[in-house]
Amino acid sequence: MHIPDNFLATPVWGTLDAVSAGAVGVTIRRAGRDLPDTRIPLLGVMGAFVFAAQMINFPVGAGTSGHLVGGALLACTIGPAPAVLVMTTILAIQAFVFQDGGVLALGANVFNMAVAGVLAGYLPFRLLGASRRGLAIFTGGFLSVLVSGSLALCELLISGVRMPRALVFTSLGLFAMNALIEGAITISVVQALDKLNPGFVQKPAAARGRILVVLGCVALLLGAAGFLIASGSPDAIQNLGQTLGISARPAFQTPMANYAAGNFESAWLRRATAGLTGLLLICGLCAAGARMIARRRSA
Amino acid sequence: MHHVLVDHWSQGRSPLHTRDPRAKILVLLVFLIVLATTTANAYVTLVIDAAVLMSGILLAGLPPIGLLVRAAGILPFSATFGAITWMAGDGWRAAALIEKSYLSTVAVLLLVGTTPLPRLLGAMEALGTPRVLVLLAQFLYRYLFVISEQAQHLRVAAACRAGSGGRRQSRFKAAAGALAVLFARSYYRAEGIHRAMLARGFGGRFSLLNPMRFGALDAVFTGAIAALLILARVQ
Repeated sequence: MHIPDNFLATPVWGTLDAVSAGAVGVTIRRAGRDLPDTRIPLLGVMGAFVFAAQMINFPVGAGTSGHLVGGALLACTIGPAPAVLVMTTILAIQAFVFQDGGVLALGANVFNMAVAGVLAGYLPFRLLGASRRGLAIFTGGFLSVLVSGSLALCELLISGVRMPRALVFTSLGLFAMNALIEGAITISVVQALDKLNPGFVQKPAAARGRILVVLGCVALLLGAAGFLIASGSPDAIQNLGQTLGISARPAFQTPMANYAAGNFESAWLRRATAGLTGLLLICGLCAAGARMIARRRSA
Repeated sequence: MHHVLVDHWSQGRSPLHTRDPRAKILVLLVFLIVLATTTANAYVTLVIDAAVLMSGILLAGLPPIGLLVRAAGILPFSATFGAITWMAGDGWRAAALIEKSYLSTVAVLLLVGTTPLPRLLGAMEALGTPRVLVLLAQFLYRYLFVISEQAQHLRVAAACRAGSGGRRQSRFKAAAGALAVLFARSYYRAEGIHRAMLARGFGGRFSLLNPMRFGALDAVFTGAIAALLILARVQ
Protein backbone atom coordinates (compact mmCIF):
# COMPACT_ATOMS: atom_id res chain seq x y z
CA MET A 1 0.00 0.00 0.00
CA HIS A 2 3.04 2.29 0.03
CA ILE A 3 2.75 4.41 -3.13
CA PRO A 4 6.17 5.01 -4.76
CA ASP A 5 7.16 8.26 -6.47
CA ASN A 6 5.95 8.99 -10.01
CA PHE A 7 2.74 6.99 -9.70
CA LEU A 8 0.64 9.96 -8.64
CA ALA A 9 -0.01 13.03 -10.79
CA THR A 10 1.72 16.21 -9.59
CA PRO A 11 -1.50 17.94 -8.41
CA VAL A 12 -2.44 14.82 -6.43
CA TRP A 13 0.80 14.39 -4.49
CA GLY A 14 1.18 18.15 -4.12
CA THR A 15 -2.26 18.53 -2.59
CA LEU A 16 -1.84 15.53 -0.31
CA ASP A 17 1.61 16.72 0.84
CA ALA A 18 0.05 20.05 1.83
CA VAL A 19 -2.97 18.43 3.49
CA SER A 20 -0.83 15.93 5.43
CA ALA A 21 1.60 18.64 6.57
CA GLY A 22 -1.37 20.61 7.89
CA ALA A 23 -2.98 17.59 9.55
CA VAL A 24 0.27 16.48 11.21
CA GLY A 25 0.91 20.07 12.33
CA VAL A 26 -2.52 20.26 13.96
CA THR A 27 -1.95 16.85 15.57
CA ILE A 28 1.38 17.94 17.05
CA ARG A 29 -0.32 21.00 18.51
CA ARG A 30 -3.13 18.86 19.87
CA ALA A 31 -0.82 16.16 21.20
CA GLY A 32 1.55 18.77 22.63
CA ARG A 33 -0.97 19.73 25.26
CA ASP A 34 -1.27 16.28 26.81
CA LEU A 35 2.06 14.92 25.57
CA PRO A 36 4.93 15.90 27.86
CA ASP A 37 8.50 15.34 26.64
CA THR A 38 8.64 12.29 28.89
CA ARG A 39 6.30 10.42 26.53
CA ILE A 40 8.44 10.93 23.41
CA PRO A 41 10.87 8.04 24.09
CA LEU A 42 7.83 5.83 24.67
CA LEU A 43 6.31 6.80 21.32
CA GLY A 44 9.62 6.22 19.51
CA VAL A 45 10.01 2.76 21.02
CA MET A 46 6.37 1.93 20.23
CA GLY A 47 7.13 2.87 16.61
CA ALA A 48 10.02 0.41 16.70
CA PHE A 49 7.57 -2.15 18.12
CA VAL A 50 5.17 -1.71 15.17
CA PHE A 51 8.13 -2.18 12.79
CA ALA A 52 9.30 -5.30 14.61
CA ALA A 53 5.75 -6.68 14.87
CA GLN A 54 5.90 -7.37 11.13
CA MET A 55 8.33 -10.19 11.89
CA ILE A 56 5.72 -12.15 13.85
CA ASN A 57 3.56 -14.09 11.43
CA PHE A 58 -0.06 -14.95 12.03
CA PRO A 59 -1.29 -18.10 10.26
CA VAL A 60 -4.44 -17.23 8.33
CA GLY A 61 -4.96 -20.43 6.39
CA ALA A 62 -4.17 -21.77 2.92
CA GLY A 63 -0.47 -21.70 3.82
CA THR A 64 -0.33 -17.90 3.94
CA SER A 65 0.29 -15.61 6.87
CA GLY A 66 -0.50 -12.05 7.77
CA HIS A 67 1.08 -9.51 10.09
CA LEU A 68 0.02 -6.53 12.16
CA VAL A 69 -0.23 -3.12 10.44
CA GLY A 70 -0.80 -1.42 13.74
CA GLY A 71 -2.76 1.82 13.24
CA ALA A 72 -5.82 0.72 15.22
CA LEU A 73 -3.79 -1.02 17.95
CA LEU A 74 -1.69 2.12 18.51
CA ALA A 75 -4.78 4.36 18.51
CA CYS A 76 -6.48 2.45 21.33
CA THR A 77 -3.32 2.00 23.42
CA ILE A 78 -1.31 5.22 23.22
CA GLY A 79 -4.15 7.44 21.96
CA PRO A 80 -5.15 8.65 18.47
CA ALA A 81 -3.03 11.82 18.21
CA PRO A 82 0.24 10.14 19.32
CA ALA A 83 -0.65 7.20 17.02
CA VAL A 84 -0.86 9.57 14.02
CA LEU A 85 2.60 10.93 14.87
CA VAL A 86 4.12 7.46 15.36
CA MET A 87 2.67 6.17 12.06
CA THR A 88 3.90 9.32 10.26
CA THR A 89 7.42 8.72 11.59
CA ILE A 90 7.31 5.06 10.58
CA LEU A 91 6.28 6.00 7.03
CA ALA A 92 9.04 8.63 6.81
CA ILE A 93 11.70 6.12 7.94
CA GLN A 94 10.33 3.54 5.50
CA ALA A 95 10.49 6.07 2.65
CA PHE A 96 14.06 7.25 3.34
CA VAL A 97 15.89 4.29 4.86
CA PHE A 98 14.06 1.34 3.32
CA GLN A 99 12.84 2.97 0.06
CA ASP A 100 9.35 1.69 0.82
CA GLY A 101 7.09 4.40 -0.60
CA GLY A 102 8.18 7.59 -2.34
CA VAL A 103 9.51 10.82 -0.83
CA LEU A 104 7.20 13.11 -2.81
CA ALA A 105 4.39 10.59 -2.27
CA LEU A 106 5.08 10.63 1.50
CA GLY A 107 2.20 13.06 2.00
CA ALA A 108 -0.17 10.71 0.20
CA ASN A 109 1.03 7.71 2.22
CA VAL A 110 0.81 9.68 5.48
CA PHE A 111 -2.70 10.79 4.59
CA ASN A 112 -3.85 7.25 3.73
CA MET A 113 -2.24 5.30 6.52
CA ALA A 114 -1.32 7.67 9.35
CA VAL A 115 -4.16 10.20 9.23
CA ALA A 116 -7.21 8.50 7.65
CA GLY A 117 -6.12 4.99 8.68
CA VAL A 118 -5.58 5.82 12.36
CA LEU A 119 -8.74 7.95 12.59
CA ALA A 120 -10.85 5.25 10.94
CA GLY A 121 -9.28 2.76 13.35
CA TYR A 122 -10.05 4.92 16.37
CA LEU A 123 -13.57 6.03 15.48
CA PRO A 124 -15.41 2.75 16.33
CA PHE A 125 -13.47 2.56 19.61
CA ARG A 126 -14.54 6.10 20.43
CA LEU A 127 -18.19 5.55 19.54
CA LEU A 128 -18.74 1.93 20.62
CA GLY A 129 -15.80 1.30 22.95
CA ALA A 130 -17.74 1.74 26.18
CA SER A 131 -20.54 -0.68 25.35
CA ARG A 132 -19.19 -3.23 22.86
CA ARG A 133 -15.43 -3.05 23.19
CA GLY A 134 -14.52 -6.23 21.33
CA LEU A 135 -16.61 -5.38 18.30
CA ALA A 136 -15.30 -1.80 18.32
CA ILE A 137 -11.65 -2.90 18.28
CA PHE A 138 -12.22 -5.49 15.55
CA THR A 139 -14.08 -2.93 13.41
CA GLY A 140 -11.32 -0.41 14.04
CA GLY A 141 -8.63 -2.75 12.72
CA PHE A 142 -10.83 -3.67 9.76
CA LEU A 143 -11.67 -0.08 8.82
CA SER A 144 -8.12 1.26 9.21
CA VAL A 145 -6.75 -1.09 6.56
CA LEU A 146 -9.78 -0.86 4.27
CA VAL A 147 -9.84 2.95 4.31
CA SER A 148 -6.07 3.22 3.67
CA GLY A 149 -6.24 0.74 0.82
CA SER A 150 -9.22 2.21 -0.96
CA LEU A 151 -7.84 5.75 -0.62
CA ALA A 152 -4.56 4.62 -2.21
CA LEU A 153 -6.48 2.97 -5.02
CA CYS A 154 -8.58 6.09 -5.64
CA GLU A 155 -5.48 8.29 -5.71
CA LEU A 156 -3.86 6.04 -8.30
CA LEU A 157 -7.01 6.03 -10.43
CA ILE A 158 -7.50 9.78 -10.22
CA SER A 159 -3.85 10.22 -11.28
CA GLY A 160 -4.65 8.44 -14.52
CA VAL A 161 -2.95 5.09 -13.77
CA ARG A 162 -4.87 2.73 -16.02
CA MET A 163 -6.30 -0.27 -14.26
CA PRO A 164 -8.73 -2.70 -15.82
CA ARG A 165 -11.89 -3.28 -13.85
CA ALA A 166 -10.86 -6.82 -12.93
CA LEU A 167 -7.67 -5.57 -11.30
CA VAL A 168 -9.55 -2.94 -9.29
CA PHE A 169 -11.94 -5.64 -8.06
CA THR A 170 -9.06 -7.97 -7.19
CA SER A 171 -7.22 -5.29 -5.24
CA LEU A 172 -10.36 -4.28 -3.36
CA GLY A 173 -10.98 -7.93 -2.51
CA LEU A 174 -7.39 -8.27 -1.25
CA PHE A 175 -7.73 -5.12 0.82
CA ALA A 176 -10.95 -6.41 2.37
CA MET A 177 -9.27 -9.72 3.22
CA ASN A 178 -6.24 -7.97 4.74
CA ALA A 179 -8.65 -5.73 6.64
CA LEU A 180 -10.40 -8.76 8.16
CA ILE A 181 -7.02 -10.22 9.17
CA GLU A 182 -5.95 -6.90 10.72
CA GLY A 183 -9.20 -6.77 12.69
CA ALA A 184 -8.67 -10.32 14.00
CA ILE A 185 -5.02 -9.66 14.91
CA THR A 186 -5.84 -6.37 16.64
CA ILE A 187 -8.56 -7.86 18.81
CA SER A 188 -6.53 -10.93 19.81
CA VAL A 189 -3.49 -8.79 20.71
CA VAL A 190 -5.73 -6.51 22.79
CA GLN A 191 -7.18 -9.56 24.58
CA ALA A 192 -3.67 -10.78 25.35
CA LEU A 193 -2.65 -7.29 26.52
CA ASP A 194 -5.62 -7.23 28.88
CA LYS A 195 -4.27 -10.34 30.57
CA LEU A 196 -0.79 -8.78 30.97
CA ASN A 197 -1.89 -5.37 32.22
CA PRO A 198 -5.40 -3.99 31.69
CA GLY A 199 -3.96 -0.48 31.91
CA PHE A 200 -2.36 -0.77 28.44
CA VAL A 201 -5.63 -0.27 26.58
CA GLN A 202 -7.26 3.12 27.05
CA LYS A 203 -10.63 3.50 28.67
CA PRO A 204 -12.85 4.96 25.97
CA ALA A 205 -13.90 8.35 27.32
CA ALA A 206 -17.33 9.89 26.96
CA ALA A 207 -17.65 11.86 23.72
CA ARG A 208 -15.42 14.90 24.12
CA GLY A 209 -13.41 16.65 21.45
CA ARG A 210 -15.90 16.80 18.64
CA ILE A 211 -13.25 17.69 16.06
CA LEU A 212 -11.78 14.23 16.21
CA VAL A 213 -15.15 12.58 15.76
CA VAL A 214 -15.96 14.86 12.81
CA LEU A 215 -12.55 14.22 11.24
CA GLY A 216 -13.04 10.50 11.75
CA CYS A 217 -16.45 10.59 10.10
CA VAL A 218 -14.98 12.49 7.14
CA ALA A 219 -12.20 9.91 6.78
CA LEU A 220 -14.72 7.10 6.98
CA LEU A 221 -17.05 8.70 4.45
CA LEU A 222 -14.16 9.33 2.08
CA GLY A 223 -13.05 5.74 2.38
CA ALA A 224 -16.53 4.34 1.96
CA ALA A 225 -17.34 6.59 -0.99
CA GLY A 226 -14.04 5.72 -2.63
CA PHE A 227 -14.72 2.03 -2.12
CA LEU A 228 -18.20 2.26 -3.64
CA ILE A 229 -17.19 4.40 -6.61
CA ALA A 230 -14.12 2.33 -7.31
CA SER A 231 -15.95 -0.96 -7.16
CA GLY A 232 -18.82 0.45 -9.23
CA SER A 233 -16.84 1.94 -12.06
CA PRO A 234 -13.12 2.66 -11.99
CA ASP A 235 -13.63 4.66 -15.18
CA ALA A 236 -15.69 7.20 -13.25
CA ILE A 237 -12.70 8.17 -11.14
CA GLN A 238 -10.40 8.35 -14.15
CA ASN A 239 -12.94 10.57 -15.90
CA LEU A 240 -13.08 12.74 -12.80
CA GLY A 241 -9.30 13.04 -12.95
CA GLN A 242 -9.48 14.06 -16.59
CA THR A 243 -12.32 16.50 -15.98
CA LEU A 244 -10.33 18.20 -13.26
CA GLY A 245 -7.35 18.29 -15.60
CA ILE A 246 -5.25 16.18 -13.26
CA SER A 247 -4.51 13.41 -15.71
CA ALA A 248 -4.17 13.59 -19.47
CA ARG A 249 -6.89 14.62 -21.94
CA PRO A 250 -9.08 17.20 -20.20
CA ALA A 251 -12.72 16.83 -21.19
CA PHE A 252 -13.56 20.50 -21.21
CA GLN A 253 -12.03 23.89 -20.52
CA THR A 254 -12.02 25.08 -16.92
CA PRO A 255 -10.54 28.40 -15.75
CA MET A 256 -7.29 26.62 -14.94
CA ALA A 257 -7.62 23.88 -17.52
CA ASN A 258 -4.35 22.18 -18.31
CA TYR A 259 -2.97 24.07 -15.34
CA ALA A 260 -2.35 27.02 -17.63
CA ALA A 261 -1.85 30.34 -15.91
CA GLY A 262 -0.17 33.50 -17.16
CA ASN A 263 1.39 33.96 -20.58
CA PHE A 264 4.52 31.92 -20.30
CA GLU A 265 6.24 30.59 -23.40
CA SER A 266 6.82 27.08 -22.14
CA ALA A 267 3.87 24.84 -21.45
CA TRP A 268 5.80 23.22 -18.63
CA LEU A 269 6.37 26.54 -16.86
CA ARG A 270 2.69 27.37 -17.25
CA ARG A 271 1.63 24.08 -15.74
CA ALA A 272 4.15 24.41 -12.94
CA THR A 273 2.98 27.93 -12.09
CA ALA A 274 -0.65 26.92 -12.01
CA GLY A 275 0.19 23.86 -9.91
CA LEU A 276 2.20 25.94 -7.46
CA THR A 277 -0.58 28.52 -7.21
CA GLY A 278 -3.04 25.76 -6.35
CA LEU A 279 -0.62 24.33 -3.82
CA LEU A 280 -0.10 27.69 -2.12
CA LEU A 281 -3.85 28.23 -2.07
CA ILE A 282 -4.43 24.90 -0.33
CA CYS A 283 -1.51 25.53 2.04
CA GLY A 284 -3.01 28.89 2.97
CA LEU A 285 -6.45 27.39 3.51
CA CYS A 286 -5.04 24.64 5.73
CA ALA A 287 -2.98 27.12 7.77
CA ALA A 288 -5.99 29.42 8.19
CA GLY A 289 -8.21 26.50 9.22
CA ALA A 290 -5.63 25.22 11.70
CA ARG A 291 -5.22 28.70 13.21
CA MET A 292 -8.97 29.10 13.53
CA ILE A 293 -9.32 25.76 15.31
CA ALA A 294 -6.40 26.55 17.59
CA ARG A 295 -7.82 29.98 18.46
CA ARG A 296 -11.25 28.59 19.18
CA ARG A 297 -9.77 25.91 21.42
CA SER A 298 -7.57 28.33 23.36
CA ALA A 299 -10.44 30.80 23.81
CA MET B 1 25.11 0.25 14.41
CA HIS B 2 25.67 -1.30 11.01
CA HIS B 3 22.58 -3.40 10.70
CA VAL B 4 21.49 -1.64 7.55
CA LEU B 5 23.79 -1.51 4.55
CA VAL B 6 23.09 2.18 3.91
CA ASP B 7 24.26 2.92 7.46
CA HIS B 8 27.59 1.40 6.52
CA TRP B 9 27.74 3.32 3.23
CA SER B 10 26.95 6.60 4.93
CA GLN B 11 30.15 6.48 7.02
CA GLY B 12 32.37 7.35 4.02
CA ARG B 13 34.57 10.43 3.56
CA SER B 14 33.94 11.36 -0.09
CA PRO B 15 33.22 14.94 -1.29
CA LEU B 16 29.54 13.99 -1.45
CA HIS B 17 29.56 12.61 2.12
CA THR B 18 31.07 15.83 3.47
CA ARG B 19 28.53 18.16 1.80
CA ASP B 20 26.10 19.81 4.19
CA PRO B 21 23.07 17.49 4.57
CA ARG B 22 20.69 20.42 3.99
CA ALA B 23 22.27 21.01 0.56
CA LYS B 24 21.80 17.32 -0.30
CA ILE B 25 18.15 17.34 0.80
CA LEU B 26 17.42 20.43 -1.31
CA VAL B 27 19.11 18.89 -4.36
CA LEU B 28 17.14 15.66 -3.86
CA LEU B 29 13.87 17.59 -3.74
CA VAL B 30 14.73 19.50 -6.94
CA PHE B 31 15.68 16.21 -8.60
CA LEU B 32 12.47 14.44 -7.56
CA ILE B 33 10.19 17.32 -8.56
CA VAL B 34 11.90 17.79 -11.93
CA LEU B 35 11.65 14.05 -12.55
CA ALA B 36 8.00 13.91 -11.48
CA THR B 37 7.06 16.65 -13.96
CA THR B 38 9.10 15.18 -16.84
CA THR B 39 6.86 13.97 -19.64
CA ALA B 40 7.00 10.43 -20.90
CA ASN B 41 8.79 11.16 -24.19
CA ALA B 42 11.48 13.52 -22.87
CA TYR B 43 14.13 10.82 -22.96
CA VAL B 44 17.01 13.33 -23.21
CA THR B 45 16.03 14.69 -19.79
CA LEU B 46 15.78 11.18 -18.38
CA VAL B 47 19.25 10.31 -19.71
CA ILE B 48 20.73 13.49 -18.19
CA ASP B 49 19.06 12.72 -14.85
CA ALA B 50 20.44 9.19 -14.91
CA ALA B 51 23.92 10.54 -15.74
CA VAL B 52 23.76 12.96 -12.79
CA LEU B 53 22.87 10.07 -10.47
CA MET B 54 25.61 7.82 -11.86
CA SER B 55 28.28 10.48 -11.42
CA GLY B 56 26.99 11.02 -7.88
CA ILE B 57 27.38 7.32 -7.08
CA LEU B 58 30.92 7.25 -8.52
CA LEU B 59 31.90 10.48 -6.76
CA ALA B 60 30.63 9.12 -3.44
CA GLY B 61 32.59 5.88 -3.92
CA LEU B 62 29.51 3.74 -3.27
CA PRO B 63 29.37 0.28 -4.87
CA PRO B 64 27.39 1.00 -8.09
CA ILE B 65 26.15 -2.56 -8.60
CA GLY B 66 25.12 -2.97 -4.97
CA LEU B 67 23.22 0.31 -4.99
CA LEU B 68 21.49 -0.34 -8.31
CA VAL B 69 20.47 -3.84 -7.20
CA ARG B 70 19.13 -2.49 -3.93
CA ALA B 71 17.08 0.12 -5.76
CA ALA B 72 15.66 -2.68 -7.94
CA GLY B 73 13.41 -3.58 -5.00
CA ILE B 74 10.93 -1.11 -6.47
CA LEU B 75 10.79 -2.93 -9.84
CA PRO B 76 8.21 -5.67 -9.14
CA PHE B 77 5.65 -3.03 -8.17
CA SER B 78 6.37 -0.58 -10.97
CA ALA B 79 6.78 -3.33 -13.57
CA THR B 80 3.28 -4.61 -12.75
CA PHE B 81 1.77 -1.19 -13.31
CA GLY B 82 4.03 -0.65 -16.31
CA ALA B 83 2.73 -3.88 -17.87
CA ILE B 84 -0.88 -2.80 -17.33
CA THR B 85 -0.22 0.62 -18.87
CA TRP B 86 1.58 -1.02 -21.78
CA MET B 87 -1.33 -3.40 -22.38
CA ALA B 88 -3.62 -0.37 -22.38
CA GLY B 89 -1.61 0.75 -25.44
CA ASP B 90 0.53 3.45 -23.84
CA GLY B 91 4.07 2.14 -24.33
CA TRP B 92 5.86 5.46 -23.72
CA ARG B 93 4.06 6.02 -20.49
CA ALA B 94 4.75 2.47 -19.29
CA ALA B 95 8.48 2.85 -19.95
CA ALA B 96 8.55 6.27 -18.29
CA LEU B 97 6.71 4.96 -15.22
CA ILE B 98 9.26 2.19 -14.64
CA GLU B 99 12.26 4.38 -15.47
CA LYS B 100 11.16 7.35 -13.38
CA SER B 101 10.23 5.37 -10.29
CA TYR B 102 13.59 3.54 -10.48
CA LEU B 103 15.56 6.78 -10.85
CA SER B 104 13.69 8.31 -7.88
CA THR B 105 14.60 5.31 -5.73
CA VAL B 106 18.28 5.52 -6.74
CA ALA B 107 18.27 9.24 -5.87
CA VAL B 108 16.86 8.62 -2.38
CA LEU B 109 19.41 5.81 -1.85
CA LEU B 110 22.20 8.18 -2.90
CA LEU B 111 21.09 10.66 -0.21
CA VAL B 112 20.81 8.14 2.64
CA GLY B 113 23.93 6.31 1.43
CA THR B 114 26.03 9.47 1.84
CA THR B 115 24.42 10.95 4.97
CA PRO B 116 24.29 9.27 8.40
CA LEU B 117 20.72 9.32 9.73
CA PRO B 118 21.39 11.57 12.77
CA ARG B 119 22.81 14.24 10.43
CA LEU B 120 19.94 13.77 7.97
CA LEU B 121 17.39 14.27 10.77
CA GLY B 122 19.33 17.26 12.11
CA ALA B 123 19.14 18.82 8.64
CA MET B 124 15.42 18.10 8.41
CA GLU B 125 14.89 19.87 11.73
CA ALA B 126 16.93 22.82 10.46
CA LEU B 127 14.71 22.88 7.35
CA GLY B 128 11.55 23.15 9.44
CA THR B 129 10.45 19.60 10.40
CA PRO B 130 8.80 19.78 13.86
CA ARG B 131 11.12 18.78 16.71
CA VAL B 132 8.67 16.15 17.99
CA LEU B 133 8.82 14.19 14.73
CA VAL B 134 12.62 14.39 14.55
CA LEU B 135 12.96 13.15 18.15
CA LEU B 136 10.47 10.36 17.44
CA ALA B 137 12.41 9.28 14.35
CA GLN B 138 15.67 9.23 16.31
CA PHE B 139 14.24 7.04 19.07
CA LEU B 140 12.46 4.83 16.55
CA TYR B 141 15.58 4.19 14.49
CA ARG B 142 17.79 3.70 17.55
CA TYR B 143 15.53 0.99 19.00
CA LEU B 144 14.34 -0.55 15.74
CA PHE B 145 17.08 -3.19 15.74
CA VAL B 146 16.85 -3.84 19.47
CA ILE B 147 13.11 -4.54 19.35
CA SER B 148 13.41 -6.49 16.08
CA GLU B 149 15.98 -8.74 17.71
CA GLN B 150 13.56 -9.32 20.57
CA ALA B 151 10.82 -10.19 18.09
CA GLN B 152 13.24 -12.67 16.50
CA HIS B 153 13.91 -14.26 19.91
CA LEU B 154 10.17 -14.57 20.57
CA ARG B 155 9.70 -16.24 17.21
CA VAL B 156 12.49 -18.74 17.80
CA ALA B 157 11.17 -19.48 21.30
CA ALA B 158 7.67 -20.11 19.96
CA ALA B 159 9.05 -22.42 17.25
CA CYS B 160 11.08 -24.32 19.87
CA ARG B 161 8.05 -24.83 22.06
CA ALA B 162 5.50 -25.82 19.44
CA GLY B 163 7.23 -26.20 16.10
CA SER B 164 4.93 -25.50 13.23
CA GLY B 165 2.29 -27.99 14.28
CA GLY B 166 -0.89 -27.46 16.22
CA ARG B 167 -4.23 -26.08 15.21
CA ARG B 168 -4.31 -22.81 13.30
CA GLN B 169 -6.44 -21.17 15.94
CA SER B 170 -4.04 -21.93 18.75
CA ARG B 171 -1.04 -20.81 16.68
CA PHE B 172 -2.87 -17.55 15.93
CA LYS B 173 -3.45 -17.05 19.65
CA ALA B 174 0.18 -17.83 20.43
CA ALA B 175 1.33 -15.21 17.92
CA ALA B 176 -1.03 -12.66 19.50
CA GLY B 177 0.41 -13.50 22.90
CA ALA B 178 3.95 -13.04 21.60
CA LEU B 179 3.03 -9.63 20.19
CA ALA B 180 1.44 -8.60 23.49
CA VAL B 181 4.61 -9.61 25.33
CA LEU B 182 6.69 -7.64 22.81
CA PHE B 183 4.40 -4.65 23.35
CA ALA B 184 4.75 -4.83 27.13
CA ARG B 185 8.55 -5.23 26.98
CA SER B 186 8.87 -2.28 24.60
CA TYR B 187 6.67 -0.20 26.88
CA TYR B 188 8.67 -0.89 30.03
CA ARG B 189 11.96 -0.59 28.15
CA ALA B 190 10.96 2.91 27.02
CA GLU B 191 10.37 3.97 30.62
CA GLY B 192 13.80 2.69 31.60
CA ILE B 193 15.44 4.39 28.62
CA HIS B 194 13.89 7.71 29.51
CA ARG B 195 14.98 7.55 33.15
CA ALA B 196 18.52 6.61 32.11
CA MET B 197 18.65 9.49 29.61
CA LEU B 198 17.46 11.99 32.22
CA ALA B 199 20.10 10.68 34.62
CA ARG B 200 22.75 11.40 31.98
CA GLY B 201 21.48 14.96 31.49
CA PHE B 202 19.27 14.67 28.38
CA GLY B 203 17.65 18.05 27.79
CA GLY B 204 15.04 17.19 25.20
CA ARG B 205 17.23 17.45 22.11
CA PHE B 206 19.94 15.33 20.47
CA SER B 207 22.99 17.33 19.43
CA LEU B 208 25.44 16.53 16.64
CA LEU B 209 29.10 16.02 17.55
CA ASN B 210 30.29 18.24 14.71
CA PRO B 211 27.70 20.91 13.91
CA MET B 212 26.46 21.47 10.37
CA ARG B 213 27.97 24.30 8.36
CA PHE B 214 26.48 25.44 5.06
CA GLY B 215 29.63 26.74 3.35
CA ALA B 216 30.28 28.35 -0.03
CA LEU B 217 31.06 24.95 -1.54
CA ASP B 218 27.64 23.68 -0.43
CA ALA B 219 25.96 26.70 -2.01
CA VAL B 220 27.82 26.12 -5.29
CA PHE B 221 26.96 22.40 -5.19
CA THR B 222 23.26 23.07 -4.62
CA GLY B 223 23.05 25.86 -7.20
CA ALA B 224 25.01 24.07 -9.92
CA ILE B 225 23.18 20.74 -9.75
CA ALA B 226 19.76 22.33 -9.36
CA ALA B 227 20.45 24.59 -12.37
CA LEU B 228 21.67 21.63 -14.45
CA LEU B 229 18.59 19.58 -13.62
CA ILE B 230 16.15 22.43 -14.32
CA LEU B 231 17.91 23.34 -17.57
CA ALA B 232 17.78 19.72 -18.68
CA ARG B 233 14.07 19.76 -17.97
CA VAL B 234 13.21 23.03 -19.71
CA GLN B 235 15.50 22.64 -22.78
